[in-house]
Amino acid sequence: MVNPLTQCIIKLHEEQHDLEDYQGGVPRWCNGCGDNAILAAVQKLCRDENLAPEKTVFVSGIGCSSRFPHYMKTYGFHGIHGRAFPIAEGVKFARPDLHVFVNTGDGDCCSIGAAHWIHAIRYNMNVTVILHDNHVYGLTKKQASPTSPAGFKSNTTPRGSLLLPLNPLTVTLGVQNVSFVAQAVDWIPELLYDIVSKAFHHRGFSFIRIMQRCPEFLPKMFEPWLHDPGKTLLLTHPDGLQPSADLGRIYKNQLEHDPLDMNRAREIASVEDPIPVGILYQNPDVPCYEDLRGAGKPRTADGIRKGLDAEFDKFTIWPDDESQQRAA
Amino acid sequence: MDMAAKFQDQLVFHMTGRRTGDELSALDAKTMRPALFAGYRDLTRLRHDFPLVLAGDATADGYCASLSVLVNQVLESLAPRGIEGERLRKHVLRLERELRAMLASGTEGTLSDLWAVAAEKLASAADESVSKVLALAGSTLKIDGDLVDCDERLPARFMIHAWRHVQAQKAALFHGHLDNLQRKLSDILRAAYAHSEAGQQPEALRASVGGMHAGDFDFGAMSRLVVRNVPKDELPAARRRRIEGSLAVLKAQRFHAPRLGSAGGDAPYEFLFDNIASAVAAYRERLAQAVELVKAIAIAELEARNGYDEADHDPFFDAYNERSLTADDLALFPDYLVCIPADRNGAPENAGLMDTLSSGLPVKVVVQVTDLLEEASLGTGHFAFGVRSARLATTAMGLGGMFVLQAASSSLYRLRNRVENGMGCRGPALFSVFAGAPAAAGEIPRYLSAAAAMEARAFPAFVYDAAGGDNWATRFSLDHNRNPDMDWALEPFEYADEAMQRVSGKVAFTYADFAMCDQRNAEHFAVVPRDRWTAAMIPAGEWLAASEREAAERVPYVLAVDAQDVLHRVIVDSRMMQATRRCLLLWHRLQEHGGIHDSHAERLLTRERAAWEAQKNEELDALRKSVAAPAAADAAAPASAEASAAPAAADAAAPEEKPPSDDPWIETARCPSCNECQLINPEMFGYNDNKQAFIKDVNAGTYRQLVEAAETCQVAIIHPGKPRNPNEPGLDELMKRAEAFN
Repeated sequence: MVNPLTQCIIKLHEEQHDLEDYQGGVPRWCNGCGDNAILAAVQKLCRDENLAPEKTVFVSGIGCSSRFPHYMKTYGFHGIHGRAFPIAEGVKFARPDLHVFVNTGDGDCCSIGAAHWIHAIRYNMNVTVILHDNHVYGLTKKQASPTSPAGFKSNTTPRGSLLLPLNPLTVTLGVQNVSFVAQAVDWIPELLYDIVSKAFHHRGFSFIRIMQRCPEFLPKMFEPWLHDPGKTLLLTHPDGLQPSADLGRIYKNQLEHDPLDMNRAREIASVEDPIPVGILYQNPDVPCYEDLRGAGKPRTADGIRKGLDAEFDKFTIWPDDESQQRAA
Repeated sequence: MDMAAKFQDQLVFHMTGRRTGDELSALDAKTMRPALFAGYRDLTRLRHDFPLVLAGDATADGYCASLSVLVNQVLESLAPRGIEGERLRKHVLRLERELRAMLASGTEGTLSDLWAVAAEKLASAADESVSKVLALAGSTLKIDGDLVDCDERLPARFMIHAWRHVQAQKAALFHGHLDNLQRKLSDILRAAYAHSEAGQQPEALRASVGGMHAGDFDFGAMSRLVVRNVPKDELPAARRRRIEGSLAVLKAQRFHAPRLGSAGGDAPYEFLFDNIASAVAAYRERLAQAVELVKAIAIAELEARNGYDEADHDPFFDAYNERSLTADDLALFPDYLVCIPADRNGAPENAGLMDTLSSGLPVKVVVQVTDLLEEASLGTGHFAFGVRSARLATTAMGLGGMFVLQAASSSLYRLRNRVENGMGCRGPALFSVFAGAPAAAGEIPRYLSAAAAMEARAFPAFVYDAAGGDNWATRFSLDHNRNPDMDWALEPFEYADEAMQRVSGKVAFTYADFAMCDQRNAEHFAVVPRDRWTAAMIPAGEWLAASEREAAERVPYVLAVDAQDVLHRVIVDSRMMQATRRCLLLWHRLQEHGGIHDSHAERLLTRERAAWEAQKNEELDALRKSVAAPAAADAAAPASAEASAAPAAADAAAPEEKPPSDDPWIETARCPSCNECQLINPEMFGYNDNKQAFIKDVNAGTYRQLVEAAETCQVAIIHPGKPRNPNEPGLDELMKRAEAFN
C-alpha cells in the first residue's frame, strides 16, 4: 500500500537512469567472453525499465558468470556454490518489493545447485533467472560441467567426457509449477534483450538458458551457429517474440510456437541443432510462493530475536535439572 | 336480495368507502390478515433465515450466518445419515426451535450462551444423555457471536456489525502499512546513530556486541579505531527533523484504534454517530489531523525510499492543506457511520443528509423506516408513500456517485455481500432499511411485515453501486425482489372449498394486501361474507390491469383469513386502489431502471420491427413482380472475375545491404559487447548508448588494427574496408586478410 499522495509525487519526480548508472566496474572476464553480451543486455533492461538501483538485487553462486553482481551498480550477493537460489528466495521473501535477478552458471545451477534449482522452479517465486551456459567450468580452468558435450577433453576428463550433456530446458519444463522457460544465445543481442525483457515482465520464476561462448576453453564450440543463421530456429508468436524485420531477413528459419503449449515446448526443448531461440513456455497463471505465504510482513528486531531463540532452543541440550525447571 | 342489489352495496363501498346495508362488515386487522399469511402464524416453529449470528471474529464464511445454516452444518458433520442420526437431528432441531422461542420472548445473548441455556432446558425434560449430545453439537459450531432476531433493532445492529467488520479489515491494512513505515524510519535513525560519534563510544559498542562476548574486547580501543572512520555526511538536520516529525504523527494518530496489546496513546476517535450534524462536525474537527497524517505518511514513504527532494517537495508540502485531500486519501481513514434512529429521520439535525451524501464525504448512513403507510404531512388525507423516509433511497440514487441499498430487514441476510460491498466502498453510501411495522399496527411479526412490504412493492429491494461499472445495467440491480419482471409477486395458494375439495392457484400479493395488515387502514376495506360473493368481484391485481370500462363494472377484492383460517374476500375502496396504482407506477419506474420493460428499448424495438417488416414487404413485392414479368434474357454477364487484386505481396524490398564501400564499418546492432575491438584500440572503437560497438574515429588507428579487430571479432561484424593511408607498411598482405570481411 502506498499513500495515493506519495504515488502522485513519485510519478512527478521519477528519476531517469542511464546505462552508466548500472555499470559497476570493468569486467574481468576474458576477452570476447559471452558474459559481456549478457551484462550489456541486462544493463540495458535496467535502464529501459528505469529500475531503481537501490531496489534491484543480483544474486549469484560461484563461477565466471557469478561475478555478475560485481559489475552491476545495484545491490548484489555473491553467494556460495550452488546456493544462489535459496539466497534469492530469501531476499524476495523478506522484500517482495525488490527486483531480484539470479545469475548462475551451468556448473553452479545444474551440478552442485541442482536440488535448489528444482525446488526453486516449484516455488515459482517472482525472480528472473539467467543461466549462463558456456558448457565448461571456466573459473577453475577447464573442467567438464554437466552440459559439456560428450567427448569433451578437459582437466577432469582427459580422455573425453563419457556422458551425454544434461539439457537444462527439458529438466526445467519437467518440474511442477514451471511458469516461464526461454532460450537465448549471447551473439544475437536484439533477441537476447527481448527475451530478458519478457522474462523480467513475467510474474513468476522466469528461467532463461543463454548459450554463452567461452573463447578461452571452448573457442570453436558455437562457430557453426555463429556463421550459419539457418542453424538458429527463431520461435515467434504474438505472445512471445516478434523479431524485427531486419533480423527476420537474416534468421529465416522461424517457427510460430504458442508459449502455452507445454507438449510442443518439450519437443522443441529437446532439439539441439538448430538451436531454438525464444520463449518456449509461459503460463502467467501459476501462483507465486510469496503470494501464497503472504511474504513481506514487517519484522521487528524483537520478533527476529524471538524467532532465532526458538530455533536455537530446538537444538539446545538442557542439563536434566534445568530442563525440569523450565518445564515447571 | 338479488344479485344486482348485492353488487350495488359493494360498488357503493368501493366508490365512497361507506358501508351500506348490513352484509358488509368492517375489517379487524387484529384477526384478519392476508390469506397468504395463513401458514405463518408462529414463526418460531418455522426454519427461516433468522435468527442470525453476528460473528465475533469474521471467518471465511463471512461476518454473519443464519442459525439454520449453522445447525445444518453441525448436523452434516455430526449426525450419520439414515436412522442412526435421527435422534441427534431431532434434538438439535428442537434446540433450534427453542432458541427461536427464547429470542421471540426477548432473551438476548451470544449463540454459545443461549445454546447452553436451551440445552439445559431441553435436557431437564429428557434424560441425561441429551445434554451431552447437545453440548457436543454446540462445541462444533463454526462461529459464535450475538444471536439476533428480526426485530426493530436489527437494522442498526446488523449494519453496525457489518461496518465494524469492514473497518477492522481496513484498520489491519492501515496498521500493517504504518508499522512498515515506522520500522523503516526507525531503521534510518538507528543506522544514523550507529554511524555517529555517539554511537561509537565504548558503551554503545559494548551494547551492540552483546553480553556473551563483551569480556573479549577492549571497547575503548575499538571506539578510538572506529571513530576515525565516522562518515562526514551524518543525517542532515532537516531530514532528521522530518523523519522524527513523521514518526511522531504516525505514532499519535487517533483515527484507527491501536492494535490489541500495543501501547495506546490518546483514545481513538469515535466514528459511530446517530445523526448527520454531529458526524459532519466531527469530520470538520478532525480534518486538520487527517491532513497532517496524510502528509506524514507521504513524507515517511518518500523518506523510506530516500526519495525526498527538498527543492521540489518542501514547497509542495508547505502548501498542502485540506483542499488537497482527495477521495483516495480519505479512503485511508475509517468511514463515518451514521445510524439514524427510526423516529429521527425528519429531525432538524438530519436535515443535511442529502448535502452530506452528495459532497462525497466518506460517510455511510443507515436510515431505518418503520412506517410505510403514513399519511401525507399536508393533511390531504392522501397516502404519502412515506416520502419523508421511504423514498430517500430513490432520491439519493438520483444524486449519483454513491452506493445506495434499499431493503427490508427480512432480506438483510441474503443481501449481506452487497451490504459488505457498500460498507467497503469509497465515498458515501446510503442504506435504507424497512424494519417492519411496529407491533401496534397489527399482530403481524416484524419479519413477516418487512418481507410483505418487499413483496408488495411497497419497499422494493434494490442496489445501486456507482462504482459497479460504467453503465446503468451493471450498477443497478433489482434481482433480490420476487418476480422482478412482473407487476406483482405471484405466490402459490391452496385452500379447501365448501365441498372440501382442494383449490389451488396463484395469488398476486399487491400493495392493498400489505396495507390491510395495518389497523389504520381498516376503513378502506370491507369483508364480504361468502354467500355474497359475486362474479363481478375480481382480484385487485386483475382490476388494476383491466380496462377502465371493465374496471368500472367490477369491484376489486383481496383474499384474507380470519383467526380460524376461514377464507374471506375483502373488497377495497377506490382510494386504496389509487394508492395501489401509484405504488405500481413507482415499481414500474424502478423496473425501467433495471432494464425490465424499458420503454426506450421497447419503442426502438417497435420502430425497428416496423422498418424490418416494411423492407421485407418491399422485397416480397419486388419478387412477385419479377415472377410475373416475362422472363428476361438470362444471359446475365458473369461476374467479371476480377483477379482479386493480389496485393503485390510486397516481397519486402530485398534487404538493403550496405552498399560496398571503401570505408570501414561495423554492424552495430549485432555487436554482443564482448570488448575485443576496444582492447585493440579504444580510441578507434567505441560503444554507443546501448553498449554496442561502432567506429568512433577511423583516423585514431591503423588499417592493421582494423583488420586485426575484424579477425578477432567472434561474430565477424567488423568490415575493414580499404586502407586510407597508402603508405602503411604491409598493405598488400593486410588487404588480402581483409577480403574475407568486406
